[in-house]
Amino acid sequence: MKTFSRNPGASVLHSLLSHARLAAIAGVGLTAASGMAQEVPEDGVYKDRIDWGILMDLSGPTSASQAPWVKGFQDYMRKINEAGGINGRKVNVLAEDNRFNAATDKIAYEKLVSQTPVIAISGMGSSASQVALAPTIKAGKVPIVGTYTPTKALSEPVSPMVYNGFCGYKQMAQAGIGFYVDQLKLKAPKVMTVAIETAGGKEYHDFVAEAVAKYGGTATSVTMKVTAVDVTPQVQEIMAQKPDFITIYGVNNTAVLTMKALAQFGVKMPAFGITYLGSPAVYQALGAQGSADYNFISCFTPGGSDQSTGNREMSAAADKFGRVGLKEDINYVSGWVTGQMAAESLAKLGNSPTRAKLVESMAKGFTVDSKGLAAPFSYTPDNHNGPTVLKMFGYDHATSKFKHFGDYSDYAKYTK
Amino acid sequence: MTKHSSVSLKPAQPVSWQRWVWVALAVVLLCYLPIVLTDRAIFGVRLSNMQLLNIGMSQVNLMLIAMLGALSLNYLTGCAGLISIGHAAFYATGAMTAAITGTQWGWPFPLVLAAAGLAGALVGTLAGLPSLRVRGLYFVLSTLAVHYVVVYVFLEYQFKFFDVVGVPYNAASIGPIALNTPIRWYFFLLPLVALVYWGLSNTLKSREGRVMMAMRDHELATTSVGVDVRILRLKAFAFSSSIAAMAGALYAYFMSNATSEAFGINFAIQFIAMIIIGGMGSLGGALVGAALWLLLPSIISGFATQAGDATGIVRLLLVEHKAQLVQMIFGVLIIVLLIFAPGGIAGIGHKLRHRWSAGKDAS
Amino acid sequence: MLAQVLFSGLALGSIYGLVALGFAVVFKATEVFNFAQGMFVVCGAYLAITGISLLNLPFPLAMLSMVLAAALLGVLIHMFLIQPVAGQPMLVVIMLTIALSIVLRAAIEIIFGSQGRTLNTPLPSGVFKIGELRISQLHLTAALVSWGCMAAFGAFFRFTSVGLLMRATADSHEAAVVSGVNVNMMNRLAWAIGVVLAAVGGLFLGQLQIASTELETIGLLALPAVVIGGMQSIPGAIVGGLLVGVIEQLAASYISPKSSDIVIYALLLLILMVRPWGLFGQRELGRV
Repeated sequence: MKTFSRNPGASVLHSLLSHARLAAIAGVGLTAASGMAQEVPEDGVYKDRIDWGILMDLSGPTSASQAPWVKGFQDYMRKINEAGGINGRKVNVLAEDNRFNAATDKIAYEKLVSQTPVIAISGMGSSASQVALAPTIKAGKVPIVGTYTPTKALSEPVSPMVYNGFCGYKQMAQAGIGFYVDQLKLKAPKVMTVAIETAGGKEYHDFVAEAVAKYGGTATSVTMKVTAVDVTPQVQEIMAQKPDFITIYGVNNTAVLTMKALAQFGVKMPAFGITYLGSPAVYQALGAQGSADYNFISCFTPGGSDQSTGNREMSAAADKFGRVGLKEDINYVSGWVTGQMAAESLAKLGNSPTRAKLVESMAKGFTVDSKGLAAPFSYTPDNHNGPTVLKMFGYDHATSKFKHFGDYSDYAKYTK
Repeated sequence: MTKHSSVSLKPAQPVSWQRWVWVALAVVLLCYLPIVLTDRAIFGVRLSNMQLLNIGMSQVNLMLIAMLGALSLNYLTGCAGLISIGHAAFYATGAMTAAITGTQWGWPFPLVLAAAGLAGALVGTLAGLPSLRVRGLYFVLSTLAVHYVVVYVFLEYQFKFFDVVGVPYNAASIGPIALNTPIRWYFFLLPLVALVYWGLSNTLKSREGRVMMAMRDHELATTSVGVDVRILRLKAFAFSSSIAAMAGALYAYFMSNATSEAFGINFAIQFIAMIIIGGMGSLGGALVGAALWLLLPSIISGFATQAGDATGIVRLLLVEHKAQLVQMIFGVLIIVLLIFAPGGIAGIGHKLRHRWSAGKDAS
Repeated sequence: MLAQVLFSGLALGSIYGLVALGFAVVFKATEVFNFAQGMFVVCGAYLAITGISLLNLPFPLAMLSMVLAAALLGVLIHMFLIQPVAGQPMLVVIMLTIALSIVLRAAIEIIFGSQGRTLNTPLPSGVFKIGELRISQLHLTAALVSWGCMAAFGAFFRFTSVGLLMRATADSHEAAVVSGVNVNMMNRLAWAIGVVLAAVGGLFLGQLQIASTELETIGLLALPAVVIGGMQSIPGAIVGGLLVGVIEQLAASYISPKSSDIVIYALLLLILMVRPWGLFGQRELGRV
């Protein structure tokens, strides 16, 4: 076909025909493929199942605490499905990986909204992606039912599209600081926050400073990267400033590295971590000696540490599903409770749930009672904060059990 | 470095009308593609997610932006012979300029892009200055150092004027048309990529472009015929960096938020991976490399989700460590290509085409 | 406090020096700028975990197996990855090492999971208190062992016949081939040494902190260390490592933790502009 042929007309016809043949083949192929297409309802609600989305960090440095949460959520849904589902439909959980990376977040969110549509999303483990997606979420149609990390951008002002599912940083700071000040009988407490350099870290430190100021004390902070592997400078700063106690915000490694480094330098420092840092993995890594000074403040109760109804139910299910060791991880507990929240909200919608109906029903307000796994918490039109009552927990290596300091009601005075 | 590029030096042939039919077909397909991806249906018939290979408009738009980066890096490295690990730095420069001119000073979007391009050219010239002093490996290291310096500047800027949360960007709009849906972004980015491709391709065919390729192949010989390679190198750097900076501004506006972590060293390495996979020196190869790099993870991810309740090693690889599996596949792909086919996909394509036409001529 | 910071800087710098030494040996022998050296550090940490926590070997045996496994890894990498691309342009080789680090990282995360693991070794973990100064015994041990390794390899290169042969081969491949030296064997030995040194560094870094794939970023600090010290110079690599360690800790303590990377790379840029062959290196002559 490089030169003119002797009969231009014939060659035109010839190539037209060959192009037409190609197009016909393509057309047949497409129709055949489309014969296998299914109906994909926009809201994620099908005849026999409802698709519910999860956006969490399934891999990367933050996955240590977020992967158990996902399993907790999935296990609650599995329990519900095994009992027949919700109004005749099984709940199908689609978990997408946030991957702590802005571009992947956006792709994953779009996927859950339009590619494999879901009726609602839970989790949202990365505070950076919450901030980036906040305008889109609030203006969109898919509600976020039970966030894993609360950020101001998404939670303020209160939106009918967003419901926090985890203890807030403000309450963590208030309850933790209050407990330690009373425990150590401090007059003008000197506190240091060890935090990772994220939006959440900064917010947490601001709340800590606020809480400490109420007792007439001072608060300073040191920061490190999420992926930090050398905390010598931060620990040296702690040694230089000599605070009364410290509080740690970050991922598992943050707590482990800080406490280990303090031990290496022979420094005895009372410390409490935020709720996420209370998993068995952290305590195992710290060892018996390192765990003695380390506690964590939490609105959820680790599995197996008391005999409440909710706790026993969850532990039984976890054992049945073969989740060795996960039930003591408060991240798992949180996922379970959020699963309960999701399932109960769905159940109220009756036989033809839609995204709009879900939003409408939740906006009216509702209460989540996890029967002991956390204090009961309510959502009202003005308050989507979620669980706000916390207490301090520790770990006893001798008995390999979590221990708690007091009851949830003892701490109400800190978070008034 | 491969000795052949996609720029043909054969005498121009009369463009046959069949070529125009193919071009028209391609244009129609490219215009219909976003509609298929948004509606998830073709000619009204609904398609499942897997039939669409788990690809949505976000990946396609990100791919188009990445193509700009890959094209500009290929121009610099494949055609001008300057190896640079600093490409993320120019993206960051563009994002920062966009923040200053767009978010802080409120300039309209097209002006912001122009400003980003200018800033990129400036920073690119500065980044190219070490090439006056050092060559080869040392120059690569200087681009690495430039990367860290620029990203640090962005970090400080972000913390000083905004927050650890990230730098916010306004909504993009061209005059009265707001770029607020993925389809609009697509129809804005696609002609832009085509324009850049066409522009770079023409530059390479021009006299200066050919001198640049000569410089890549044998610098001393080029100097001996009276070409000032130093100026040429700086020009190449400035040109390539300005395109990359514009891509950075587009990226920032598209994501509506940017943090310094987004521009880490892995971001820079991914562009090198794209041009190696596609084939260094080949502009078309850069497009293919960018497409593969952005779309393949979603495709693999989609297949992985189909695995569902599988157990054992399949579950380990496909469900729990999807991201690592994708990384491993790419790493192995690059290693295999480097050892067996350093010309990348473009090189393979060339060989196949030669064999095809050789076979035809023979028969 | 300055003395405190200086001490931890010197201790960490000794570890960096060890890793940088491994890097320099590989570069001198095969002229490969090995971007995967950071991942070799991580491999060392995880090999130690395999020996100690997974296989429950007694500590000396675990250390021996770690060293042997690291050496084997180096040999295999040279045989299957580096030898095939010998003579290819620089970008190909650099990208190969980068791709290698990507594959190693993915493999480690798949096998061991992506969160860090603690390394439990019987290395001393107490502290010496001298007035206000707290010296971590672990830091001290790390520094001493690193110096011991560096001295051992220095002696190896200077006094043993194999070492001399390696240096001769590195200086001139053609002369070595003509003299009947098996150049490939020498190169494999060089790679084995490079990986082993990185692995020992990884053991200490893993014990000081946590064994995780993020250790790679610390391992990569060996690159500026080698360049600042002088790429073809063995003592240069060691001095470069010490310098990088001290500067990193000083910057992190007195400026901010974020700034430590930038200070080092700005210094690198400065050296490249002013004295590219490093503090101890020699000016290279170009051949037409």
